[in-house]
Parts: sequence; structure tokens; C-alpha cells
Amino acid sequence: MYVQLLVTGLALGSMYGLVALGYHITWATSRTMNFSQGHAVMAGAVVAYAGFVALGWPFPLALLIALVALAGYGALVERVAVRPFFLRASPAWLLATIAVGIIAENVAQLTFGKDARAFPSPLMQKPIMVGSVGFYPQELLVPVVGLALMGLVQLFYHRTSYGKQLKAVAWNPEAAGLMGINVPRAVMAAYALSALLAGIAGVLLAPLLNVAPQMGTIIGLKAFAVAIIGGLTSAPGIILAGLGYGLVESFVAGYVSTRAREIVGFGLVIAVLIARPWGLLGEKPSRRV
Amino acid sequence: MRRFSVVIASLLSVVLAATGPALAQSKEPVKIGLSAAVSGGSAASGEAIKRGLQIAIDEINAKGGVLGGRKLELVVRDDEGNPQKGVTIARELVEREKVVAVFGGLHTTVALAQVPVWHELRTPYMGAWAAGTNITRNGQAPNYVFRVSANDDYVDRFLSRYAMETMKKSKPGLLLENTPWGQSNETGLTKWFGEKGIKAVGVERFNWGDPDMSPQLLRLRNAGADHIVLVANAPEGAQVLRSKAKLGWDTAMISHWGISGGRFAELTGDLSEGVTFLQTYTFFGKQNERGQYVLKMLREKHGIKEPGDVIAPVGTANAYDGLHLVALAIEQAGATDGPKVRDALEGLKSEYKGLIKSYKRPFTAEQHDALTDEDYVMVVWKGGKIVPVTMK
Repeated sequence: MYVQLLVTGLALGSMYGLVALGYHITWATSRTMNFSQGHAVMAGAVVAYAGFVALGWPFPLALLIALVALAGYGALVERVAVRPFFLRASPAWLLATIAVGIIAENVAQLTFGKDARAFPSPLMQKPIMVGSVGFYPQELLVPVVGLALMGLVQLFYHRTSYGKQLKAVAWNPEAAGLMGINVPRAVMAAYALSALLAGIAGVLLAPLLNVAPQMGTIIGLKAFAVAIIGGLTSAPGIILAGLGYGLVESFVAGYVSTRAREIVGFGLVIAVLIARPWGLLGEKPSRRV
Repeated sequence: MRRFSVVIASLLSVVLAATGPALAQSKEPVKIGLSAAVSGGSAASGEAIKRGLQIAIDEINAKGGVLGGRKLELVVRDDEGNPQKGVTIARELVEREKVVAVFGGLHTTVALAQVPVWHELRTPYMGAWAAGTNITRNGQAPNYVFRVSANDDYVDRFLSRYAMETMKKSKPGLLLENTPWGQSNETGLTKWFGEKGIKAVGVERFNWGDPDMSPQLLRLRNAGADHIVLVANAPEGAQVLRSKAKLGWDTAMISHWGISGGRFAELTGDLSEGVTFLQTYTFFGKQNERGQYVLKMLREKHGIKEPGDVIAPVGTANAYDGLHLVALAIEQAGATDGPKVRDALEGLKSEYKGLIKSYKRPFTAEQHDALTDEDYVMVVWKGGKIVPVTMK
């Protein structure tokens, strides 16, 4: 039984990690984030569904359109819900991004409908059985893509000049601006990138979770918990925390009770916040004296 | 003299009958209300109920209406599945629209919130979907709430009997959604299995939107369950089937009717094969006269080509029969006041050969559910279609 719980936990955990990476990207640049990251995941799935299933486009085209649309969505979120507050150092972006997410969900309800719809995938046809342990190939794809994206995000922020510029904005927006970095554009780029990632997550998770306007809400919330536990400034920390959180959920549900799952999971968040407020692998903020 | 008056009377009645339709047009219509979710996630249920009501109303009006030529008229209000809204609508329908009776939709929460309002406004209510046990067994006297639909308590007796007697299983594993609806069915299933000395080997719950049900299923499997009784709506039901296939656990599953709303077949594909669940009616298989008529109307008005296209079939069937029963009660009461129609419903004299069954004294002072587990049917997904299962 524990092998199956292990596999289930890792599959769940890589979903959380993948979605949580989106919080990291904007945080690393602007010390803000889109609280409705889960809704961006949903938007990615809905747009891809519209192209692939409703309009019958080939999958690569539908994917491309979804990713372009999501990058645009991210830029829009930044423009209307973050920029007006970011420059004034006001935390109102917090509420504003939640508002945008709720609007997105309601727009999806109006256009897509509230019923969950199936997103066909050849990787969901038949589970793979290894002994008595089973999983869908699609579930294998999630950690693979998650790890690859984590690697790319790491490379981008640590090895490329533009990535370093984005990080510089987080340290000191004014100084970065004085050094010739276009701060608003940098923040917008980070939001576009973050939403793009959510779009990939949405397309990847759609066959597993089905497409529905509310599909991203719970995943987004748990991914946020994961991002806090792993450390908002650390992509590897987030992926690790995601896997850990998925395992905890799966084992608590399997050996204790489904009802205890959320209590243990979010209890863990509080414990980490008290012991290591910057997260397991996050950078400890240097204190200005 | 006596003979003369008989002649006059019969002449008069001939004249009346001839001018009846003309008079009917000038007579005030008898309004029937509907409070249901006709938008949002459960919109299909509201639409199905509306269709059933309208087909019955058109049928009755074509034959001259009720109370000597008054036409029936449907007034629809969207309660959005929101109990507060349901209460407001209940008052509006009765006080402003002056409806004679109100039909209700899918949500047990709305129906329960409205119960005291019907009592206060002395207006009969006819449930066409929501199955909550306490909706009809509400402790009000006199009870204005009637129902032509399932009742969770009977559903649980039906499901447990099917498991024990037809499937010959004795180790039920309950898999329920973590909501009041799941809770009420846990109570019912425990009671009816318990009556035969059987205890569920496991009771597992899941939340709306849970992505993976493997842990719950593993626990049931390890506890030795030889069948699963599922209480879920379509999206979560689909996730249960996926996880079950993943575990390679090939055990029988019977389900409450929640999975018949939404797009269960689309979500599950081949996995739905063999999943057995309950309905109050199915348009598949041989139809009685009313079944053929309702299907014909659905075809003409709503472009339904085959039984599989009928959205949320139980809503249409329940509402259709419910409306006929209300019309008969109005006729028997000879009036439109709530208390008189209510009393007539409780003591309906004429038998109504309906769609779901033949109703003979469907309601009494103690029994406000016209349908019981004797009227339910088991159906099974076979090749993407719903096929009736014969009991025993």
C-alpha cells in the first residue's frame, strides 16, 4: 500500500510544485505575486480546451495559442493589478490579483460553462501497472516537465543577463532603474513568464483534473502553501516542498484519514513559518541596520 | 316540470361546452411557479424541470385547462441554488405573482430553506428533484411540501437492498462527498445495511475538487470491501473511477444519482462501463403512452433525437408527473386556494396513469413522497449509454 501512496503523493506533489514555481518567478523580480496563480492555470486549460477540443485545432497549435494568450494574461494582470501599487510600495496588489482571479473564474463560467469537461490525452487511456502499483503516464509527465522548467528558471535567473537584471529589480527597484533597467517592463516580463508557466501547468493538468472554471482554486492555494514552505526565493526549494507536501497529503489520507489531510498540511505551513519564515531553502533576508 | 328542467339543464351544458373555449380566453389563468437553478452549474436540471412542466401544461391547456376552462401558466424564477434567494423568490411568486403552487429544483439546501415559507404562505410545494429526506419529513402540520422525486432515505434502502439481494454482497465500502448530502446518506446507508446486520467495512470521504481518490480507495480495499457505494456528483465521481482504474481494483460500484448530472460519460469514457446507479425514470427501453408522448414533445420542441440526448431526464419526468398531480388536485379542490389544493393533494380521488407509474392516492397525511424505492429503477452505463437493469 505504501508504494502506491508514494507514487500518488509524488504525482500530486509535482503538480503543486509546478504551479508554485509561478509564485517564485514574480517574487524573485518584484517581491509581489499573483495570488490567483491557480486561476491562471485554469485559464491555460480553458484556452487550450477551446482550441483543441471545441475548435478541433491540432494540439501544438492549441498549445501555442494558449501559451501566447497566457503570457498576455500575465502582462495584463501586472498592468492592472500590480503596477499601480508596486511603485507606491502598497500591498494592495494582494487584493487586486485575487480580484482579477475571481473575474477570470466568472468569465470562464459565462463562456465555458460551469460543468467539468474532459480534456482528452493519449497518456490517460490506460494506467501503467508495475506489480500492484498503478499510475497514468500523464502523471509521469508532470514531474518531468516540472523539473525541466525548474532547471530553466534557475538558468534564467542565475546565468542570463536579463535574468540577473530581473533579480536586481527585486533587491532595489530604484537603484535598478538608475542603472538603466526598465523596471515596469521587467516586472511585466516576470508576470508574463509566470502566467506562461501556469499555462503549461494548465494544459498538463487538464487531462488529470478535467477542465472547469474552479479547477485551479484549490491547487493554487496548496501551491501557495508549497511556495511558502519551500521558500519563495528558491525554485529547487519549491519543487522539493511540492513533492514533500504531496507525500504528506497522500500518506495522511492513506493511513490516518482524509479529514485530517488539510489539518496536517496547513499545520505544517504554520510550523515552517514559525521556524523558518523564509522557507526551507529560501534566502534569509539580510537585515538593513 | 321536472322533465322540463332536465332538458334546460342539458341544453345549458351543451351551450356551455360549446362556448367553453371562448370563455376560457377571458378567464384568468392559473399560475404555477418554479423556483430552480436555471443558470450556473446545475442549469441543466432547471431546464429539464421546466421542459417537463411546460409539456404537461401545454397538454392540459390543449384539453381546455382546469376549473372549467382556465389555462395554466408557468412562472419561472432562478434561485441559483442559493437558499436566501430561494426564500425571496418563494415570497415573490406567491405574493406578487399569485401562483397556486410552486415546483422546486435540484438543491436540497434551497428546498429546506423554503419549507417554513410554504407553511406561512399556505402554498403547496412540489419537489421535482432535491432528494433530502427532511424536505418532505419536515415536522410541519399541516405539511404543504410534496414531492415526486427520490428521497435519500428510500434511496439508501434501495441501494443497500440492491447490494445485498441482487449483487449478493456483504462488505460495503462507502465513498461519500464531504457535505451534508454525503452525511445524510451515510446515516441512511448505515441504517438500512444495519437492519440486515451488515456494517460498512469502511466509510471514506472526499472534498469537492479532490484530484486523486487513490488513498480513500486503498483504505476501502484494504478493509476488504467487496463493493463500493458512491455518493458523488459527476466531476468527483469521474475522479473516483480514474483512481479506481489506476489501482487496478476491479470491484462493483453502485451509486446515488448525483453522477447522472453533468457530463459523467464524457469525463470517464470507457471507465463508466458497468457503473450502476439509480433513477426515478429512464427514457431508454420500452415506453408507455406518456413516455412516447413526452419524447415526441421533446423531439419537436427541443430537438431531442434519441433518449440519450435527454438532458437530466429525471427532472423532466418528475416535473411532468408532478404537474399533472397538481392539476388534478386543483380540479378536485374546485378552487385555487392553497389550503384547499393541499387537502386535495393529500386525498386525491382519481387515479392518474402517469409517466413514471400509475398514481393511486399518491399522498396521504403521513406520506408526502409520491415515489418510493419501489418505483426507482437501476440503470447501468453500457457502451456510453444508460441501460435499465432489472431487479432480481
